Parts: sequence; structure tokens; C-alpha cells
Amino acid sequence: MFCRNQTARATVARGSALEMEIRRGKFRKSVFLDTSQDSDIQKKIDHEIRMRDGACKLLAACSQKDQALEAAKSLQTCSTRIMAYMSELQRMKEAQVMQKVTRRSSDAGPMGDRLPCKGKVAISDLRIPLMWKDTEYFKNKGELHRCAVFCLLQLGEEIFDTDMVIVDRTLTDICFDNTIVFSEASPGFELRVELYSCCSEDDYSAGSTPRKLASKLSSSLGRSAGKKLRAAMEPGPCSPVSNGGGAPLLLPVPSVPGPKYHLLAHTTLSLSHVQDSFRTHDLIISGNEECSYWLPLYGSMCCRLAAQPHCMTQQMMSGCLKVKQQCGGDPQSWTKVHAVLKGTNLFCYYRQEDVEANVEPAFTIGINKETRIRASEKDPLSKVQNICISNHYGGEEVTHTVTTDSREETHRWMEAFWQHFYDMSQWKQCCDDLMKIELPSPRKPAPITPKQGSLYHEMVIESSDDLSSNVSDILARRMQELELRSQLGTSPTWMSAFEESNARCTGRSRHCTRMSGHSPCTPHRLPRSPVSPHRCPQLGLLSSDASLTSDSDSHCSTSPCSHHHGWPEPTSSYSLLSSSPSRLRPRTLSLDAKLSTLRGRGYGGGGTFQCSCQPPPSSLLAPLPISSRSPRSKHSTQTTLSCSSSTSSNSSSNSEGSHSPESSEGGPFSRPSPARRSLRNLRARLDPRNWLQSQV
Amino acid sequence: MSFVPGQPVTAVVERVEIQKLRQGENLILGFSIGGGIDQDPGQNPFSEDKSDKGIYVTRISPKGPADLAGLKMGDKIMQVNGWDMTMVTHDQARKKLTKKREDVVRLLVTRKSLEEAVKHSKCSYPKH
Repeated sequence: MFCRNQTARATVARGSALEMEIRRGKFRKSVFLDTSQDSDIQKKIDHEIRMRDGACKLLAACSQKDQALEAAKSLQTCSTRIMAYMSELQRMKEAQVMQKVTRRSSDAGPMGDRLPCKGKVAISDLRIPLMWKDTEYFKNKGELHRCAVFCLLQLGEEIFDTDMVIVDRTLTDICFDNTIVFSEASPGFELRVELYSCCSEDDYSAGSTPRKLASKLSSSLGRSAGKKLRAAMEPGPCSPVSNGGGAPLLLPVPSVPGPKYHLLAHTTLSLSHVQDSFRTHDLIISGNEECSYWLPLYGSMCCRLAAQPHCMTQQMMSGCLKVKQQCGGDPQSWTKVHAVLKGTNLFCYYRQEDVEANVEPAFTIGINKETRIRASEKDPLSKVQNICISNHYGGEEVTHTVTTDSREETHRWMEAFWQHFYDMSQWKQCCDDLMKIELPSPRKPAPITPKQGSLYHEMVIESSDDLSSNVSDILARRMQELELRSQLGTSPTWMSAFEESNARCTGRSRHCTRMSGHSPCTPHRLPRSPVSPHRCPQLGLLSSDASLTSDSDSHCSTSPCSHHHGWPEPTSSYSLLSSSPSRLRPRTLSLDAKLSTLRGRGYGGGGTFQCSCQPPPSSLLAPLPISSRSPRSKHSTQTTLSCSSSTSSNSSSNSEGSHSPESSEGGPFSRPSPARRSLRNLRARLDPRNWLQSQV
Repeated sequence: MSFVPGQPVTAVVERVEIQKLRQGENLILGFSIGGGIDQDPGQNPFSEDKSDKGIYVTRISPKGPADLAGLKMGDKIMQVNGWDMTMVTHDQARKKLTKKREDVVRLLVTRKSLEEAVKHSKCSYPKH
């Protein structure tokens, strides 16, 4: 990495002693720097280097495979972050140089180069389908080839990693439950998603041996022999762990014997991929079948990429305005308001205090892409230009005329409007409506993945994201139409399927926060459901965050659970439909309904069977707990744990609405107390479907 | 307890003698086994080394003959009546245990705590 000092033009060569000293902090980089921004980055670099050293030490010291994998993952993340900060630093240095150069040559100040506002970008619910060959399932009874995978997400300077997931041939998808939020993204952002994987067999000494060889080795070498081999093969920098050329890493990569992650696939997402629902993107796969870290990827990735530009969430401009009365008799009457420009609206409040008090604005003027704003000619009386805001509502054009007290104010408002329009043009589809971004909950429970049986034991119907989101979008729209048209209680017959049905439940309690599950909990609506009688299906409606209860049979849908994102914003009128009480409707299971029920709603297992007959209060917004499962139900749990780890353990009929107080957010499985958990774990692993046992 | 090919396998074992119990026309021992060279060793919850394909005791019927004889869940069976159990298929193991003509089986089993017990006993008697 070259670090140009503009006065001395000194370059610091990679790997040189000076560079090493800088890395060690003996020389502060500020010797060469002159801005605080750089030292900021320098601090970050130092921090990451410390983290990396820690991860190396941990890797060298730990004996358990899981710890080693986690430590290797942190190592990879730290290395990537260091690289990113380095390049950022370099860019900044070069920009400074360029700036000083251009400043000398021209005297132009910053011309009206508008910069679009920044925004938050969130990516969540990553799901990468796998495509195993059938020979893997049926013929290969031997060792389970396991890989540990995680994703690195990089946007600009911010790099985040997801949790690590162990993948073997019983999984059909790799699912990452995390929501990653990048806070300062410009509209031209590039979000790079990289999938790293590492073979998770016993011996790491062999580095990246081909898979067949690795499995032979692992079955022929015992642990002690492997350790000896590893020690013998640890000469230092020439271990297979060393970094290839081209990386601006300054220190030689610490050679730690241990798992090393390799890049398996990557893709880049940008503004055009942002949408308020799930989409599928293509992955570029590196590596081939011979690599030890290989996984048969289907080639695509599903995720939800949402963006909230700041112009939609923050107040861009506020101040006093005078609005001309439309229908006032006196053409000179102006109403003084306190106006706030935010999102696609200009909110006008009578008093400034109303803004904080959350009082409804006096009126709202829409400011969106179709709005036209112009400054009109000077008002002869006040000598200040008026601003005319024109919108098309329906067929007619409605114009509001506003003015301010002084010319500067008018200028400022015009400037704000232009900036707002520019932002909206840059952020394109993100400015049509505010996309919801869920903040990741601070607690990160460790997911427990019991060993899965072979795939053909599972009896789950997997619905693909795209299909179901399309279907549900269509349904949602129809529902909305119906709501607008219908009165209380006259919903169509197919609605009953949603209301009664027993959808598959996906145990993501986190998504419960979006449900306002109104439940028309009238017992006699359950005549046909095989559910045990004390279970009231909770049913909200599909139109917004509606949740469907889980089924009584032990099937769970495997769709990743944040489908509620695909639903439109909650409308207040939807409660109407839920209160249609005492009508027994025949249960129609049209294809639509079936597909939607398969999508399942996020609630934790059976924990949602609240027999509340009025709309549950907003306490439902707290993540719903997942009920603890009785041991008996656990066996059926395993069968339905299909591959995508987003399924919950099932909602078999044992859940009596008992809630265990824990609210596990990411974990799709029930989480009983530790003692029971180990017992349960043991029982799960002793399942004869997994491992043959004989009684003698 | 994994092995290195070519090297002898050593383990500290306990001798367990189980009298079979006659139930109708069956002779039962009262435990279940898992493992074998034809099984997936990764699924074995008891083994320390997940490539160990030995025969392990996965369940003991309470108050059954095995329980009374002192067999514990998680034990690895090394020999049955002199027949080796470290390199057999699951079915071969089952057959060796359920011979109708034998009323008693003498097992050599090993478990982690045995190794530790020996180590401790060695330590607590330092050479004078």
C-alpha cells in the first residue's frame, strides 16, 4: 500500500520495516496524516488488528471444532475489514492529494453539485438453496460431509458477518437469520455478499485437500495422529493458510493450524435490487467439485433488500410558512403554519409544538415525484415570491400556494424542495413508500440444530419464496380491495380458509412482532380442524401481518418467515373482517389458500395459541415466546426439520398455549431449559432413523 | 479410543458379566446397542471421537440384567465372550450378543471414567 505524503511524497512499501513499525503502532500514522478522518480509520484498523490477533490466539488454543470454526470466521471477518479500511485510507489520501492539486489550479468553490441523501440499507433473511445429487441421499450412508458456512456482507466501509451455519446433505437451503443494517449508504451503493465455507471434517492439517481424500484421511487417521501430522506440517508461513498475493495485508497472515474459510460464491446488489419483498439473485460461484469446501449450490440467493433513504425518515426541512387559503373568500388570507418536509409529504401544523406532540397535522401537502413546484411572480404586496405546489389528485390539479416572510426563507425552501426531488430521483423506488426495516434484536440466542434425519424422512412441503410471495401479494391486494368494498363480515368464502386454517408455523418469534393477530376466537369455527379443542387458532387476516396458526399435524412449512414484509402496510380497516363471528363457512382449500397457508407465519411454535377474543394488545409486539415442547412431540419435530433452518419445531398438538418465557428470536427451535435440552438432544440423536440401534 | 492402523489398541476395560433373562422364548439382556463399521459414526452421541465405529451401549432397561450387572449407557463394548467388537458390523455385534445357546455374556467395556480412575489412582500413590 502506498501512502503518499503530499509534501514529502514518501511511499511506504508493503512489508517494509517502516510499514511493520507503523502497524505495530510505534509510529503513529498521523506522522504522515494531517486529518482527523484518517486517524479515525487508523483507530479502526488498530482495533481490527487487535481483534485479529485475538482470533489467531484463540484459534491456536481451542480444541473444539465449533470454537475453531467460529474463531476462523472472526479471523476472516477481521482480515476483510482491515483490507477495506486500508483501501479506504488510501482512497482518502489520494482524494486529499487530488483536492489540493485541483484547488491550486482552479478557484472554483464547490459548485451546486448536489449529493443525494444517504440512507439505511438492510438485508435480511438470506437463503441460499442447495442442490444435492440424489446419490448423496440414498446411497451414501457413510460419513456426513459437513461444511461450515457464513456470509460476509460489505457495503462501503461497513462489513458484517452472519452467524455460522453447519451444512450437510440433510439441508436443502442455507438460511441466515440475521438482519444486517448498513446505516450510511448512498443511492449508488454496492452491497457485496460473499459466501465463505470451510470443510468441517476432523483434520484441518490437510488444508484444502480434495473432499474424497479428506474423508479417507479422516476415517483413517485418528485424532492424535492428526494432531501430530498437523504439528509436523506447521512450518510457519508456508502453511496452506498463507494468503495469496495481491492482498494489501501488511503483516504476513498468521499461520494458524485450523480451519480456513474459502470464498464459495459472491454477488453484488445495488439499488435496482431493492424491493420491499423477497427477490432472487444470481450467485457467482467460485471453486469446483474437487475443493474440500465445495457445496452444490443451486446458483441463486433469496433475500430481502430494503432501503430507507433519510429523506423518507427524517425531517429534511422545517420552518414557518404561510399558506394561502384555497376556498377562503378573502384572497389575502394566509394561514401561518409550521411545516415539516418529510418523506413524500409536507406536513403543516398549526403550532410547532404539535410536531413533538404527535398531533395530527392541520393538513398535508403531498410532495412526490409527480409534484411540480415553481416559484411564481412576485406578489405585488409583499415583494416575496410565492411557491406554487401542484399535485394531481385523481383527474384534477390541485395547487397550494405558500409563501414565507423573507426572500432568503423562500430560497431555502426552494432549495430544500429541489434537494428533496433530487433525492427521490436518486433513490427511485425506495421513495414510493417507506420500507420497513426491522432492527435486529439485541439478543442472539445460539441456535440448536439437532442432527437431522435423512431427507426422505422429512415430510415437509417446501414452497419457494418467490412463488409464495407473489401469490400472497396477489391475495393481499385482493383482500385490500375487498376490505374497501365490503362491510363488516362479508368476506369471501376463501377467507375462511385463512381464518381457520392451520398454517404451518415457522418458529420465528421475531416476526411475531409484525402481527396484530386479531383472533375471532369462536370455538365453533373449528369444526373441521383436527386441532385439539383447546387450541384457538389465532387468526388475523392476511391483509396485514396476519398470522395463521400452526397446523395440528406435524408438518411445518419451511418458508423463511419474514413473509410479512411482503404484505402491505396495515390498514386500520382490516379489523373489520376479523370480527365476522358466528358463521360456519365451508372450508375451501383452493390452491391460493393452500399456498398461502404454507407460508406460515412467524410465531413461535405453539406459543401463540392465545385464546383471546379481542384483538390482542400490543403486547404481542414483544416477541412471542416459543412454547416448550413436551418430549413426545419432539420426535415429530425431527421429521419436519427440513433443511431450511427457518422452520420451527412443529406445532404439534401438545402445545397448550403454555408459554415459556424465553423469547428466542433467531432460533427456530424450541428452547427448553438446559437440562431438558441435553436430554432432548440425546433423544434426538438416538433416533433410530438417524442411527441404527438394536435391542438385545 | 480411536485407533491407528497397525498400532495396537489399548484401553482400560471393565469386565461385565450379564446373565441373560428368559422372557418367554427369548433371552434378553436389557440394553440396546448402536454403532458398527457399517454405520455412520458421526451420529453417535456417546463417542468422543466421531470417527469411532465401535459398538456403544445406547440404552439400558432399568432393573434389567444389564443394569444389574453394572453396564452403563455410553459404554463402548470391546469384546463379547472373547469375540472382538471393535471392528464388526452392527448385525454381527447383535448376533454375538444374542446367541441362544449362551446364558451368560461376558463383556469387556470401556468408558472415559475408567481411564481417569486409573490415572487418579496412579497419582495418589506416588512412589516413595
